[in-house]
Amino acid sequence: MTDPAEKNILVVDDEEDVRDFLKLALIEAGFTVRTASDGLEALEEVKKRVPDLISLDLVMPKKSGAKFHRELTRNKAWAKIPIIIVTGHARDDLGRADLRELTMSGPGIYLEKPIKPDRYVAAVKQVLGLETSAEEKDLADQVELQSELKNLIDDADPDTLRQLKDMLKKKK
Amino acid sequence: MPKRKMEKSKALTQLLYGQFFQQLPFNVAIIDRDYNIIEANDNFTRYFGDWHNRKCFSVYKKQDKPCSVCTQKEIFEDGRTRVVDTVVADKDSRWAHHVIQSAPLRLTPGGPVDYILEITSVVTDTNQWQQEYNVLFDRVPCYITVIDEEYRIVRANESFRERFGDVLGQYCYKVYKRRDKQCPRCPAARTFKDSKIHQSEQSGIGKDGKKIDYAVMTSPLVRGEERVAHVIEISTDVTQIKKLEKEVLEAERLAAVGQTVAGLAHSIKNILMGLEGGKYMISLGLKKDDRSMIDRGSDMLDRNFDKTTTLVKDFLSFSKGRLPQLKMTDPNALVEEIVDLYKDIAGVSNIELKARLKPKISPAPLDPDAIHTCLTNLVSNAIDACLMGQQKGSEVVISTRDEKGKLVFEVSDNGSGMDYEIKKKIFTTFFTTKGGGGTGLGLLTTRKLVQEHGGKIVVESQKGKGSRFRMEFPRKRLEMLYRESE
Repeated sequence: MTDPAEKNILVVDDEEDVRDFLKLALIEAGFTVRTASDGLEALEEVKKRVPDLISLDLVMPKKSGAKFHRELTRNKAWAKIPIIIVTGHARDDLGRADLRELTMSGPGIYLEKPIKPDRYVAAVKQVLGLETSAEEKDLADQVELQSELKNLIDDADPDTLRQLKDMLKKKK
Repeated sequence: MPKRKMEKSKALTQLLYGQFFQQLPFNVAIIDRDYNIIEANDNFTRYFGDWHNRKCFSVYKKQDKPCSVCTQKEIFEDGRTRVVDTVVADKDSRWAHHVIQSAPLRLTPGGPVDYILEITSVVTDTNQWQQEYNVLFDRVPCYITVIDEEYRIVRANESFRERFGDVLGQYCYKVYKRRDKQCPRCPAARTFKDSKIHQSEQSGIGKDGKKIDYAVMTSPLVRGEERVAHVIEISTDVTQIKKLEKEVLEAERLAAVGQTVAGLAHSIKNILMGLEGGKYMISLGLKKDDRSMIDRGSDMLDRNFDKTTTLVKDFLSFSKGRLPQLKMTDPNALVEEIVDLYKDIAGVSNIELKARLKPKISPAPLDPDAIHTCLTNLVSNAIDACLMGQQKGSEVVISTRDEKGKLVFEVSDNGSGMDYEIKKKIFTTFFTTKGGGGTGLGLLTTRKLVQEHGGKIVVESQKGKGSRFRMEFPRKRLEMLYRESE
């Protein structure tokens, strides 16, 4: 079994509070964490040492998440780094196109701000293939399912959406 | 020639003339210098009624004083013949379109003009060609009228009559707008004056009492005369277009609100994330009995609560006064104010702030406070861009001009410029490249204010070369908003 301490994670976000929060949550879970405040800094960090996972914000000054990712994929070794997108722009015009590009081409999943720490950690572990507690596993599965579902819902036609709604209502 | 024979010949001549005069298939009359009709043929009498002891303007136009522009008077002065199109009323006051041919009569050859012979014919006999022309004239999808110098409607096409009623002989301002005197900004008046084509946008009232917006063009209708005796007015109904334009304007303004709300949602998400983080740190600190972590968490909470307060305050001011308070404003004066305000601030950083103003630019209905805010935002951004660019000979230029019916304000700098990624996001709430120095609301506010004026803001920028922000205000839209706000 791999120890989380051996996993090096790069958290990229332009908001200092968000950076601190995510970093702390990951450290608490035992990971080794580095941070960067924009795409440019993130690229420097990747050059220094290739991380095992990147937690990436989309809309940032200097170099955006999408632009940073595009540059990552140009390097064969970097292209395989798993990515978790943590963004508040998933549903607005500013982030939608970038998000689509990333989820289509990248290996990662996305989480929409605001996000609970345990859910975040569970998602990270899941992507890294680390052993998780049953509880964490459930959470991570839920996160992944939700993420997948959100993508499906975004692309769904009105009829499917109506059926889905009815189905979910019946369950309740 | 023997005397008897001569008398016979004279009698014959008189008879011939008399019969000729009576039997001419036109209305013929002779008028003296005092506008009196002194002789007329039977046709004339049948058409206009009894003319004895009456003046021409009374018979033709049912007026009690001479026409303001009098063809007869001109003929008495210059002795030349005239052919004039006009409307005259018959004995039952039915107005109809006529051609009047007037010729001078002299008792002594080469002497002064003593009388005028007038041949009036109703222009109703139409041949095939004329019928086709009439159909075209009547059914063409615009309102066409011909008016004389007194602004009486001499001709009107069917489209016009359907919309405005049967109005031949009436004053055009009465018909178009139900006014008692000439309209302000009358394009026909200008055409009478300079013989050129003029246009304007007007609002009138149809015969059904509904408002009609129309774009009117006036053109001189000249038949060889030097002065313009008639003007043709061609109007297009723009009521629907006006309505659509208004809807588009409204939609754009709503879109501005939508973008603002989307921006607000994003800001709140970020704040929630910060609050979530603070909460997490505090609970973690409590669990581990780690005082410093509790403090960090509490600081984080404080910061994000403060952000909420700022956000609410900014958005309240942002959402205030959705309708601009328009008043006639000199664009150049506004720019000069900004230059005065920022010259010293720019100078401290060795940046030259210049105004490049189009002289005599016409005033426009603007909200001066709003435009002041916009210019302030753009200029302070431009100064920051120069500081970031750190080039020598930095300058910021504010210019004004009119371009294709738009009033344009432009703020350009030779500072750092922007790449595509940044350009895409500059109108986003709380997007800032200035670290802690910016709130990220400046350009968003600017765009909102510009959109509320019915205008738009355009950016051109090249990394390393500089940026150019252009605010464009279609003058027509400004005037529309102005009329609405009155």
